[in-house]
Amino acid sequence: MAADGGERKKRRQESTAQESAATVNELRALIVRVRDGDERAVPRLREILRKAPELARRFVDPAIQTERIIIESFAGGDGGQVVREVLPRTLEALRIELGGWSPSPLERLLVERIAATWLQLHYFETLYAQNMDEMKIPQGEFHQKRIDRAHRRHLSAVKTLAQIRKMGPAVQINIAEKQVNTTG
Amino acid sequence: MAWEERGGRRYYYRSVHRNGRVVKEYIGTGPLAEATAQLDEAERRKREGEARAWKEERRRMEELEAPIEELCEVGEMFARAALIAAGYRQHNRGEWRLRRGC
Repeated sequence: MAADGGERKKRRQESTAQESAATVNELRALIVRVRDGDERAVPRLREILRKAPELARRFVDPAIQTERIIIESFAGGDGGQVVREVLPRTLEALRIELGGWSPSPLERLLVERIAATWLQLHYFETLYAQNMDEMKIPQGEFHQKRIDRAHRRHLSAVKTLAQIRKMGPAVQINIAEKQVNTTG
Repeated sequence: MAWEERGGRRYYYRSVHRNGRVVKEYIGTGPLAEATAQLDEAERRKREGEARAWKEERRRMEELEAPIEELCEVGEMFARAALIAAGYRQHNRGEWRLRRGC
């Protein structure tokens, strides 16, 4: 019975993941159509955005899981308990600082992205600094490239949130409030 | 690394890279060759262990990168979609501007 339940849960998760991937692919295609001047794609794009809180959460959850794994990797060394206590609080403070107490789903997604990329960058840099002396040249290059990519991802995440904030409330509430457009 | 047997005696050779080619280098026979072979074998195992550890480390790092990369891609896409839905259009793949009439 338990095995059946586990199997059903697994199938449900796979089906949800497939559905999310299909929606994301559709969204990607719609953005390209609008970019190429096809305004008929906008209503469908808005319709997908109305489902955004649920859809956004599906991508935030695995990232939070990954954050936990990274924190555990950090905590593997000396002072593990301190790391386990301090890092989640630092991340939470970062989230509140960037998103406030009740961020819109879009803001939450973007803030989560910043927190995840910040943690990842910090982790890769620490790992590199700790093992630098033992690394061979190709290993060092591999780590440096990884740090560069993580840095670019983090900067891009910050830039996108700043851009959304700069555009004003219309963009921010479009997802949360189901297309209430307050501009113009 | 290899032992070759000729006339009832064993001779130890090792393969080395020289000028971009793999060549067989004669080491010798007797206790000195035995000791050299053991050292070579230990070195080979050490290198194999390091390569395995490095491969595992890369796999672990890739596993840590994938969900965050996905979150980044999706976050970027939702931000673009929200901008489009609010009436903004990207100008020449650069600045986002509010479309006329919005």
